[in-house]
Amino acid sequence: MRIIDLAVKDLRQVVRDRKSALFLVAMPIVFMLFFSLIFGAQGAQRDPRLPVGFVNHDLASSVSTDLFSLLEGSDAIRPVVLDQKQAGKAGELVRDGKLAAALIVPDGFGQVALAARQPKLTLIVAADNPAGQTASNAVDAAVTRLLANVQIAQLSAEAFETSAQLASETERQAYLEQALTLSNAAWRNPPLSVTVEGAGATERDQPSWQNAYNQTSPGTIIQFTIYSLIMCAGVLVSERKSGAMQRLLTTPISRAQIIAGHTLGMLVVVLAQQAVLIAFSYFVLGIQYLRVPLAILLVAGAYALWVVSLGMLIGAVARSDDQVVMWSLIAMFVFSALGGAWFPLEFTGKAFAAIGHLTPSAWAMDGFQNIIMRGLGLSSVLLPVGILLAYAAAFFALAVWRFRFE
Amino acid sequence: MKMLDIALKDLLRYLRTAFLVVMMFVVPLLMTGIFYFAFGGQGSSAGFNVPVTRVQIVNLDRPPAQSSRLAFGEMLIEFLQHEKLATLLQVTIAPDGASAREAVKNRSAEVAVIIPANFTSAALTPGEGATITIVQDPARTLGPGIVKGLISQFVDGLVGAKIAASVVMEQFGQRGIAVQADTLQNVAVQYAAWAVAQGQSRGEGKNPALELEAPPRKVEPASEKTVVAGLIMTGMMLFFVFYTGAGTAESIIQEDEEGTLARLFTTPTLHSVILGGKFIGVFITIIVQLIVLLIASALAFGIHWGELPAVVLLSIGLVVAAAGFGVFVMSFVKNMRQAGPVVGGVLTLSGMVGGLFTTGIQNLPAAYETIQLLTPHGWALRGWKLALAGGGVSDVLLPALVMLAMGAVYFAVGAFLFRKRFA
Repeated sequence: MRIIDLAVKDLRQVVRDRKSALFLVAMPIVFMLFFSLIFGAQGAQRDPRLPVGFVNHDLASSVSTDLFSLLEGSDAIRPVVLDQKQAGKAGELVRDGKLAAALIVPDGFGQVALAARQPKLTLIVAADNPAGQTASNAVDAAVTRLLANVQIAQLSAEAFETSAQLASETERQAYLEQALTLSNAAWRNPPLSVTVEGAGATERDQPSWQNAYNQTSPGTIIQFTIYSLIMCAGVLVSERKSGAMQRLLTTPISRAQIIAGHTLGMLVVVLAQQAVLIAFSYFVLGIQYLRVPLAILLVAGAYALWVVSLGMLIGAVARSDDQVVMWSLIAMFVFSALGGAWFPLEFTGKAFAAIGHLTPSAWAMDGFQNIIMRGLGLSSVLLPVGILLAYAAAFFALAVWRFRFE
Repeated sequence: MKMLDIALKDLLRYLRTAFLVVMMFVVPLLMTGIFYFAFGGQGSSAGFNVPVTRVQIVNLDRPPAQSSRLAFGEMLIEFLQHEKLATLLQVTIAPDGASAREAVKNRSAEVAVIIPANFTSAALTPGEGATITIVQDPARTLGPGIVKGLISQFVDGLVGAKIAASVVMEQFGQRGIAVQADTLQNVAVQYAAWAVAQGQSRGEGKNPALELEAPPRKVEPASEKTVVAGLIMTGMMLFFVFYTGAGTAESIIQEDEEGTLARLFTTPTLHSVILGGKFIGVFITIIVQLIVLLIASALAFGIHWGELPAVVLLSIGLVVAAAGFGVFVMSFVKNMRQAGPVVGGVLTLSGMVGGLFTTGIQNLPAAYETIQLLTPHGWALRGWKLALAGGGVSDVLLPALVMLAMGAVYFAVGAFLFRKRFA
């Protein structure tokens, strides 16, 4: 009963401190909305592909036009024709991040290619950044496809010349150009193709497993749940500062009961915060959180319990509000980064990913993504939930151990 | 003189407080270290360490009886199992599509590849088509992307050969010349040989038709790693400098709450002198923090911050902007209980809007880059990025001036509100 009294008291305090409560819920929503608007608008209105400058000094040739078409057909990049003035600054545009790369087609490129000599294109690219690497791979694929067309045209012409004669160089050129056109058209509808599906996703869900917010949304929930550490730890510190803790000494309440009471109160607040964020993600961003509601509730609940327990530990050891903010921010940055809330762990080095996967935040990400991306069921979250509960129990025990009334 | 005494007292108080020292100096370096550890490998000479992708492959391909020597499904498996790809892929044969899909679903594989029954037939028969299905763990992108790239490369070789034959047939037909089967086979074989050679070149990371050129840099970085570290450290340094601005301005609220500010007001000292002293304390603290971070990060991560005059100019702008912003934010805070969430919240949000947590991401949407410039953080980021790229005083002048102007306005508003509160 005392535990519940303490929890109710904490809840009343949180509700009364509207400015802090507003920050806890409004800030992550503003954050999600902001990135939804920025990147959502990008997806809806702008071409999200990486811009690659295209400088064509071979205007007379259809080969360079074919190359432009192939670049336009890429899923990863979009060619941006640079005028004469911009062409001179192509390198600077790449350096400053305005372009992911710049492709320069030299004069006579098409002629060299059709003459069965090795053509040369120049690609200005910063190979030390991911956008540059993506652009480089996409340009490489388009150039290879172009060279394939040229190769097919040459083989066709050679085959023809074994049976008949092409009367003049002009006729040969026309033959090659026709072969290029035919080859280009055939590639648009290739007889063999490759298709990609998401495992576990039903036919109805196929479009949603590639939702761009499948990483951002759980990542934001993970990060801002940890942000509530400031509030959780602050409760203990402010009670100690105000002398309320000393007053509690005169009552028959144990340290474990005090921590449990505050944990319960803060758990309700953090769960409410998560509920708002999950509802926003579901209704506004279209993330499939409600596919298995019980599983999401378990993951969110277990993760919230761990965060609150950590908050109690910080509150138990911190001596001032400043220390609370410091330890809470450090925890938010470290657990968010290591747990894969900011970027998927598969993009990091092996050691970082291995260490990261020891953190509760990584297990919470796994739990959320098992439902919203992998389309798995309740059983898929039992391991993450179990690990989160074990962490929560350990941190709760540490908080009780370290807790002092003064 | 009293003003400086108050400022000095505040500075000593901050530097004696262990947690403030940690926040000002240790955390930004620690955060950069974490990111450096996470992504530093990308810039190393050994290249990015891509994890091995577990692939379950199902070969349903049944080559037509008349061309049983050609089994493209088998050839695709051999291609994926080639020893050169062993560091990228771990290929296992699965008996059927259902078990391969299940393997991906229960995360014992990242990718399943299902080769259709008519794969060889479609590659050889005009008008017939076939599709290879890749089933991937939806939470992965890197491994499945590599598998798709490799399979597409293999399939393109077959498609090209088929297209080559069809182009020959079409062109010969238009000219009324009958095509011999040998001619078609010869064309397909020659194309396949070309495709294999091309694939080998690409496999070695070379495309003979593409010459890669690095964009011009004003300053050559010591290594690619330092570029990554420089960008990350810039974001962290700016975030924590702004944090110090707000954190040190918080002392006004703290002294007010502890009653020491009221005691100071009873002494024969003007309110403006007391508040002025506290504001100078904020400035000096930030200057000390900035100098330490610039030097420590240069030593720890080998970051070359740029030309000294440009760095000095940006530092002045940053100090004014961070101090002004801190005073402004704290002027809205009523007590220390509010200070924690408000400072943490406003700084995290403004840092995100200002782009401090996305410094490593290239080609951000133009709209986002524009919005960044609504905050002093965004201008600070722009200026320091220019300095890192080797920009001189003329390059960083605009960001520095904007930071100065924004900082002055924030400071004026914040100081006005404090003076009003303590009048």
